[in-house]
Amino acid sequence: MTSSNGDDGGDGGVNPTSGATARGEYERRMVEIRRGFELSGDGLRAATARAALVDDLVMRFWNQEVKADPELAVGVAVTAIGGFGRAHLFPYSDVDLFFCVEKSSEKLAKESIRRVSQSLWDCGLQVSLTTRLPGECERLDPVNPEFGLALLDLRKIGGDEAVFAKLRDKSVARLRSKDAKAIGVALAELTRERHAKYGDTLFHLEPNIKDCPGGLRDANVCHWLKGLRGEPGAGSEGFAEAIAFLAAVRCFLHYRHERDDNALDWQAQDAAAQRRIGLTGTSQDRVDAAYWMRAYFRHARVVERCLLREAAGAGLKVESKSVVRRVRAPERAGFLLRDGLLELKPTSASGVDAAHEPEIVLAAFAAVAETGARLSYASEERIANAIPVLSANLEEGPGLWRQLSAILRGERAGVALRAMHTLGVLDVIVPEFHGIDALVIRDAYHRYTVDEHTFVLIDTLHGLAADPGTDAPDWRVKFGSMIRELQNPGLLYLAALMHDTGKGRATEHHAVESARMAQSVLDRLDMDAYDAGLVMRLIETHLEMSAALRRDIFDAETVRAFVGKVQTHESLRMLTLFTYADVAAVNPDALTPWKAENLWRLWMATANQLDRNVDEERVHARVSGGAIGGGWRKDEKIARVLALVDGKQAEAEHFLEGFPERYVRTRSPETMRQHFEMTQHFAEEPFQVAFQHGAKQAGSTMSEITLVTQDRPRLFAGMAAALAAWGMNVVTADAFANEAGVVVDSFRFTDTFRTLELNESERERFVSSVRDLVAGRSSVEKLLSGRRRGKRKPPRMVVETKIEFDGTASSHSTLLQVIAQDIPGLLRAISATVSGKGYNVEVALVDTEGETAIDVFYLTSDGERLSGEQERDLGEALLSAIEENSQ
Amino acid sequence: MQKIEAVIQPSKLDAVKDALVEAGISGITIFEARGHGRQKGHTEFYRGREYAVDLLPKIKLELVVTDEMKEKAIDAIIGAARTGRIGDGKIFVSKIDEAIRIRNDERGEIAL
Repeated sequence: MTSSNGDDGGDGGVNPTSGATARGEYERRMVEIRRGFELSGDGLRAATARAALVDDLVMRFWNQEVKADPELAVGVAVTAIGGFGRAHLFPYSDVDLFFCVEKSSEKLAKESIRRVSQSLWDCGLQVSLTTRLPGECERLDPVNPEFGLALLDLRKIGGDEAVFAKLRDKSVARLRSKDAKAIGVALAELTRERHAKYGDTLFHLEPNIKDCPGGLRDANVCHWLKGLRGEPGAGSEGFAEAIAFLAAVRCFLHYRHERDDNALDWQAQDAAAQRRIGLTGTSQDRVDAAYWMRAYFRHARVVERCLLREAAGAGLKVESKSVVRRVRAPERAGFLLRDGLLELKPTSASGVDAAHEPEIVLAAFAAVAETGARLSYASEERIANAIPVLSANLEEGPGLWRQLSAILRGERAGVALRAMHTLGVLDVIVPEFHGIDALVIRDAYHRYTVDEHTFVLIDTLHGLAADPGTDAPDWRVKFGSMIRELQNPGLLYLAALMHDTGKGRATEHHAVESARMAQSVLDRLDMDAYDAGLVMRLIETHLEMSAALRRDIFDAETVRAFVGKVQTHESLRMLTLFTYADVAAVNPDALTPWKAENLWRLWMATANQLDRNVDEERVHARVSGGAIGGGWRKDEKIARVLALVDGKQAEAEHFLEGFPERYVRTRSPETMRQHFEMTQHFAEEPFQVAFQHGAKQAGSTMSEITLVTQDRPRLFAGMAAALAAWGMNVVTADAFANEAGVVVDSFRFTDTFRTLELNESERERFVSSVRDLVAGRSSVEKLLSGRRRGKRKPPRMVVETKIEFDGTASSHSTLLQVIAQDIPGLLRAISATVSGKGYNVEVALVDTEGETAIDVFYLTSDGERLSGEQERDLGEALLSAIEENSQ
Repeated sequence: MQKIEAVIQPSKLDAVKDALVEAGISGITIFEARGHGRQKGHTEFYRGREYAVDLLPKIKLELVVTDEMKEKAIDAIIGAARTGRIGDGKIFVSKIDEAIRIRNDERGEIAL
């Protein structure tokens, strides 16, 4: 202590007769403040009390200097800036002390200021001391903008009133008026940098309650932005409550850590919950940490929204990812898009409040997802207030899926989903999501709450679709093209949205629970069985690829086991992309290039192996056992089918017997029941056809036609020809036969000329035409002669035709794999050639990957594998047929 | 004190960790690595395109143990990581002069 030069005899709280006395007195008062906090839980009161205590201490030391040299009474203003200036000094916060000194007093004051600072340090305070001339405070220093920002909270502690008046009324007033814009820009930049450090989200498992988005620093930014706009004020009631909560937590953390450490770690969360820190009300009931953290996130959301509102009002961007695409809203949209803001119109076309119309509100969120625009605050308020009406007016079914899919597929879906979640709209559509709202599940790797992890995952998937750049590694390029080529990406995003909802329930296997919860969502959306099956399998198996990566991915057995889990190329593609994004969304460093490369290698090995064993692995319904993919056990899934066929269990078992396992694994029990029921009508019509038009489904124009009949030559070729004649482009197909020779051939296709979409009456004719053709009641040639050929666009990527035979994949058939440019008529050309040679298609698996068609057939010739000569002959014939089709 | 560096198959990491814990060793550092020794890379094909896998994924472990624990640690790693095939990995052992616990400046074996 260097300034123990006498007692000034003042009447303040601290009497610094000596250094030891001052420190002892300060510590005694700090104990009282702490006791007050422990009794009241009022963090703001504690922070204010400490600021007053430090004010006293500073002035005692300064007055001693003035007493020793009365000339110091003139020319020096003692002020507080920053948090100290706001009179909010948390227990272990730095003390931002500013001596504003006139030029004439500079020399005289120098040593006294040093002694005051030293005395404060000796009392145990962390002092950040600044000394400047008034004129040095007039402009924002671009190198040190923090000082200019701290001056916005200038507060007089003591010293020369005239110097303080000059500083406040001239220098700082000039700073505010001349550099208001520069201050705003600096504030926005500092905020963006800080937010980026925290992944631009407030939903951290262990947040820093000062620096994280939604923390006290953001609250200060709100306060400064308001001040710069000349609108100082307390803010909304919710904002004041949030500040009080955060202040209480910060006090608690300082006392707990005994330093200026604002990290709310898990142990601190437990302790804070136990002591109900920041919670209002008279209840003394203990709350659990998850409940308490939800209260924290609720308050942090209020601060974040206030910040965004203030920043938008000042024309500033405080989010690092805030690029908005400029798109005009359609005339009849029910909302307007202007300057990155979306504003709901007052009323809909029918004169009802637009915020009460689910169609308009969801279309608005789809526009947000497409552009990254933000809802105006007025619109947010209207939607938040309209939640009960929206809930009552919401119509479930394919229309709702169409709208949800549009939101999920938008490039900025994360922005829209977060806004929907905050306003309660997501809960209206998917109430199952509510269980993971701000849910903290503690593990050493995850950084975000479960809901935020989900949104980051969806953001990551959309990020993959962006141009990877020229230096990107092979895996990044491949994953990018994979997501762009998905036939129905909405399904992947829906699975992503639902994949962790099971974590909201007490269960050991959250993937299975999430799938169970997703089932009810899919039912409400009335999604078709194929799409619903894909979503369910993806959710159920979403941990399988990560698990496979922990095994030897170069080992054939690992790959074979994984093949058994995914079954189809479409599922594999989705699961690969999903796994990539799921790992990346754990924390920013989780997806290392090492992991991504291994993921890519596992995908490649699995894709190569996927169709190799289909013919060998057959269902034995009567002696069921062993595991089947998608979380089902074989006996469970078959038991479900059997339960659906009242009184016909033996016939249904007979029907399932001998199908490739892939058939069972890729169909829902309900779909298999339908196929079985179709066999029950063979007496009336031996060629049973089921058709579902794609226009009914959202996010997809894919239609599906399924033929169930007794096996006979040329069935598959006949179906392919019929579809080609109608101008349909087959995207995926499979053909399976059971032990009794019943075949199930399913084709999913797009309608090149929109014939069936524009002419609903044609659908019936289409189905009859296909049935007649495969039954031999009409001629393929006749149909093909009337075939219309569209003008083909040149391909973006040229695919070289490759034909491969494998005699080892099956014990009784030969595998034929054809890779070729995907153009209409290709499947017809291939299957007609195969049939023309008299070979039987035992199993067919048709897939499309972007512009590449990958068609796999298991063929027999008189019940045997093809000979080498037959393979060569067929290979040549296929090359000619494919070449001819491409002309 | 001895530093043990082991390059193992990624799929053996969990087993090696468990074996080390069972042997009474809990402090290890893990690195994701790529490389090859006698197990050369290979070529993979997908849709007619060729992809060279010249560097194989590996995991590198580092642990520092007391002299008495050295053989136990080595046995644990070998026991858990060995399949008998090329590519199982290697173990390197070197002497360590000093270990310091940053938190409290403890030195020597007590800092391990």
